[in-house]
Amino acid sequence: MGWGTWLAFKQFERRPQKTDTSSLPPVSILKPLKGNDAGLFENLESFFNLDYPDYEIVFSVTEQTEPAIAVVQELLSKYPQIDAKLICEPQKTGPNPKINNLISAYELAKYDVILISDSNIRVKPAYLVNLVPDLRESVGIITAVVAGVSPQGLGGWLEASYLNTFFTRWMVFTKKLGFPSVIGKSMIFKKSTLKRLGGLKILGHYIAEDYMAGHGIQKLDLTVELMHSPIEQFIGNYSYKSFWSRHLRWGRIRKSIAPIAFLIEPFFFSTVSGALGAFALSSVFKCSPVLIWFLHMAMWGICDVVIYNLMDQVSWKSIGAWMIREGLALVLWVSIFSGNTVSWRGRDYHLLRGGLLSEGGGP
Amino acid sequence: MYLADFHLHSNFSDGKLSIPALVDYFGKRGFGAIAITDHFCEQTSLIGRAASYLGVTLTTATFPLYRELLKSEKERAWEQYGMCLIPGVEITKNSISNHRSAHFLILGNLDHIDPNLDISELSDRVRPEGALVIAAHPVSTQKLEKQTFHLWDRRNELASKVDAWEVASGPYLFDEVRYSGLPMVASSDFHSEKNMTSWKTALKAEKKQEAILHAIKTQRLDFQFYREEKAREPSYCPVPWNMGPQLGHYGMGNVVSF
Repeated sequence: MGWGTWLAFKQFERRPQKTDTSSLPPVSILKPLKGNDAGLFENLESFFNLDYPDYEIVFSVTEQTEPAIAVVQELLSKYPQIDAKLICEPQKTGPNPKINNLISAYELAKYDVILISDSNIRVKPAYLVNLVPDLRESVGIITAVVAGVSPQGLGGWLEASYLNTFFTRWMVFTKKLGFPSVIGKSMIFKKSTLKRLGGLKILGHYIAEDYMAGHGIQKLDLTVELMHSPIEQFIGNYSYKSFWSRHLRWGRIRKSIAPIAFLIEPFFFSTVSGALGAFALSSVFKCSPVLIWFLHMAMWGICDVVIYNLMDQVSWKSIGAWMIREGLALVLWVSIFSGNTVSWRGRDYHLLRGGLLSEGGGP
Repeated sequence: MYLADFHLHSNFSDGKLSIPALVDYFGKRGFGAIAITDHFCEQTSLIGRAASYLGVTLTTATFPLYRELLKSEKERAWEQYGMCLIPGVEITKNSISNHRSAHFLILGNLDHIDPNLDISELSDRVRPEGALVIAAHPVSTQKLEKQTFHLWDRRNELASKVDAWEVASGPYLFDEVRYSGLPMVASSDFHSEKNMTSWKTALKAEKKQEAILHAIKTQRLDFQFYREEKAREPSYCPVPWNMGPQLGHYGMGNVVSF
């Protein structure tokens, strides 16, 4: 726990260095859109204000009725000097709806360096200047730790608590152990690299296309790196139900991809590891297990406050949300364990072993 | 004449090197052809499922990536080294009993691979598509490892389903296979650099996949012992008793034939 906190600290300690922007390669930014996220206009607009010499933005939607279309059109007319376009040409590559949405944009992308970024990500002008120089010869893909900002509603605060503590620690910890995770919210790579694995189309068969991209790229002897600063996910108003269903989906994906890691996950929950530690230590030192458990939770809480503070401002609401989330973690894990079906963008999918998908609920 | 090794493992299963690293390793040593044949365990057995969980086998999830990477590396192997890379898998059916365990290679066409099928069914499915079926280490490998005797036990019945039988796996020659009259091929069962010193197949065929597979089928081939210079020899590995005269340098290693 302490080590994970220290690793997170080290990860974000590096300050961006001055880069000669003239030597940086052009970038194609791909933005798959679905629905109308809170703060969508501002999120997308942040990509029109990047301080980077040469880039294009390709927005993609799957239906002409998408509410995001109006937002994009407004931005296109506001920033005519930016090379940006919107396309609606979904292709069926497999059951993964995100890849089906993205594939035409990917084929249309002009440049070798591709950044895929979700619609709820908001970035600072220096985002690409800080990111692209790290895409060196030996690096296959760069992903980022996501900071949850501007939460509203119980679900929003719980989401922020998850992203800004457990998730951050998990990302830096797994990277250090040599099993880095790739997060589809922000991943930058070279088209020529992914081509060696069959291109983006091949990822359409998996629910966790980001994980498989990272897995495949490591098979090329290239590394997966983490960006040296977190990117911001604008959470906004978010219901408890949305929080629960999203985490049920993520958890079942984890279980499908890495069942053994999923089985030992509870040992990394503050409540479970605290209970086990309290039971063990109380029998050795003959003291109250409840007291040890509370001490453990207090120390865990302090570490999480330190990490949270790296990602966003800590408040009483965030501390309250942290307590609820820690209490819910085991209940959520049991719910994840009890099924293999996920709902994603209005459709039900049955998860097969290894992160493969079949459409329909299934057993 | 050039050397070929038709039984190599990458880190898609239990090998140490990645597929690009294998291409570079054999390409730099002047090999004319290699086949990368990662384990693909059947999923109907407990041992096969355990291998999937441990990540030491191809799975239905990783197989598409594997196949695509082999395709792109095949191009690079040819352009950079003039070496023919043949896509393959080692269908792996392990049981507690050695006599119920079988490993066999499928080389060439990987379009219709299902590791849960029996060797006869798979053979009937893939051979008409141009693939070759090779029985891997069918007799004792003389190493402390899982042995696979099932195919050898059924060799008369399977003779028409198998294109060749491994006569060597690593540094050992299998006399049972050598004097059986069955079609043969020699490979290293390469998992890491320490397996490089081993018997290889030598071919004169054109360096094209179809020509190479045809040469195996028609047995227009020879076997040569390749010794990797500066390689760390495992202590349990004796020099084969029937090593022939040394032919001289071949690539970075020494080659002898029998």
